[in-house]
Amino acid sequence: MRVKGSQDLAAGLMFVLVGALAIRIGADYPVGSWQRPGTGVLPLILAWCLIGVGAILTIKGMILHGPSLLEGQWAWRPVIMVTLAGIAFALLVDEGGLVAAMVVSMAICALGTPETRWKEFGYFTVIMCVVAVIMFIKGLGMPIKVFPWN
Amino acid sequence: MELSDLFSNLALGFSVAATPGNLFWCLMGALVGTAIGVLPGVGPVATMALLLPTTYYLPPEGALIMLAGIYYGAQYGGSTTAILINLPGESSSVVTVLDGYQMAKQGRAGAALAIAAIGSFFAGCVATVAIAVAAPPLTKVAQQFAPADYCSLMVLGLVFAIVLARGSVVKALGMVFLGMLLGLVGTDVNTGNLRYTFGISDLFDGIGFVPLVMGLFGMAEIMANMTNTERRDLVTSKVTGLMPTWEDLKTSAMSVLRGTILGGFLGILPGGGAVLASFSSYTLEKKLAKDPSRFGKGAIEGVAGPESANNAAAQTSFIPMLTLGIPSNAVMAMMIGGMMIHGIVPGPQVMTERPGLFWGMIASMWLGNLMLIVLNLPMIGLWVRMLMVPYRLMSIAILFFCCIGVYSLNNSANEVLFIAVFGILGYFFFKLDCEPAPLLLGFILGPLLEVYMRRAMLLSRGDAMVFIERPLSLSFLILAAILLTIVLLPNIRKAREVAFVE
Repeated sequence: MRVKGSQDLAAGLMFVLVGALAIRIGADYPVGSWQRPGTGVLPLILAWCLIGVGAILTIKGMILHGPSLLEGQWAWRPVIMVTLAGIAFALLVDEGGLVAAMVVSMAICALGTPETRWKEFGYFTVIMCVVAVIMFIKGLGMPIKVFPWN
Repeated sequence: MELSDLFSNLALGFSVAATPGNLFWCLMGALVGTAIGVLPGVGPVATMALLLPTTYYLPPEGALIMLAGIYYGAQYGGSTTAILINLPGESSSVVTVLDGYQMAKQGRAGAALAIAAIGSFFAGCVATVAIAVAAPPLTKVAQQFAPADYCSLMVLGLVFAIVLARGSVVKALGMVFLGMLLGLVGTDVNTGNLRYTFGISDLFDGIGFVPLVMGLFGMAEIMANMTNTERRDLVTSKVTGLMPTWEDLKTSAMSVLRGTILGGFLGILPGGGAVLASFSSYTLEKKLAKDPSRFGKGAIEGVAGPESANNAAAQTSFIPMLTLGIPSNAVMAMMIGGMMIHGIVPGPQVMTERPGLFWGMIASMWLGNLMLIVLNLPMIGLWVRMLMVPYRLMSIAILFFCCIGVYSLNNSANEVLFIAVFGILGYFFFKLDCEPAPLLLGFILGPLLEVYMRRAMLLSRGDAMVFIERPLSLSFLILAAILLTIVLLPNIRKAREVAFVE
């Protein structure tokens, strides 16, 4: 049998998977009594609803024509680079200070698109760093180091 | 309600809103709102998320006044882009493109911009009064609600959000459930048990609202927009003749009025808001026009109606948030996030406990609208120049503001890691055609629903019938069931799809 609407199918499977995981992990959460519903009640209800919705979508994706998952471009390069940029900022900001975190994360982000012009990026980064230091550290008084040696 | 009460309330509001500090934040909000409204690909939700951490440093009045300004400011800005470069700056100005750009091509950009601004201003004034009139009685009603009523009302709200969301109903339903589940992560406040924390200590207090929205809306937006490198062609670099002719004003007066009423009404509905309002208004204007074929070729009614409607709806959508504490769309969820940062619990008690904040915010909307119409038209040159900033630089700036914004909340680098995760998640939702807005509403309402459900069950001594024994609760549930059935019926679903495509 050929899949007719892979977008719906994928969304359906995602919902079913999350629902099943929620039930599996939440299996030992106390259910409590009718008068005092416990920790596990609402998650259980929601998880089953999620599985139900997911099942409908999965079936729909199998038998009804719909948009394909592969329609349109998958923007792997921006997705990976933007994510890495966020991670780089998180790893650098405490030890490396604001400027290092900014320069590295912004450069990684710039790698996400072929349109980047590096000279322009250089000027832009300098301006952004100055603005950020003035605005967030001097202005709002956020306790972040400017440079690693501060 | 007494008319004198209305005046004394508004007087209190203006006395709060007109302090220099609050006027400044109102102006900032309106300006930032216009700026992001002008820029395609940067929406009010993402911007409010970006600025949410900063509002922590402001007094609560200033913070909420500024956040509100961003939303209605964005409605003004969105039309500028739509008219001048044939691209909607905001999703609520998609229909403005149709006739606005045609007007600009015919050399009437000035008239189109002016009528959009005038219509928005008129709608803004009416909507401000509507909020002031409607809020106190609604608040009184809300104060009579029992926990069971609240619980059912939230269910109804979520159903509305699903029905009015764009795209697949089933997917929206799934996103609501997913959002509610995400909202339950962390410590269960009633029992102290941990849920779905995977032993990560940063999750013990639950998933942060700010990292979630910044990831889903900010980071995911950059990822999606970095691939399409659209060209921006300005129709004219110079806008002349800003004053519309007498003829223009006469033609569009009724459209503005109809748009305001329609938008004002649709804004109150959960899941409604600016986008739905502008679409409906355009359809209405086209239906009512003597010569519908003029539409799409530069009919001024096609600009006046939707632009008034989206602004009216943007403002009246504050009504359920202010009176019931229930967000009707993603932007209102953000407003609630702003309140919670300042330790204000949203709900009917805000009006009685913090009247200065409540009425100050309403009064600020009128002041903000006034500022927008005065500042906007002369500043169009500046906004146009801003459109020249290429997206490759804009995306980098947005990324940085996402990171620093989340970090500044708790000085926690781990929360910055969360936005990276939610960013990928948001991109997958985008590719799966799952709208993130219902997820956000579920995220806010999930934990609230649980609190009220537990209270209701405790009060009824474990009798689940309480939800259908109380008339108010029963009617909410019946309404929700009817809505859900209707929207799932095949032929109505087709009609709905057609309506959204139009």
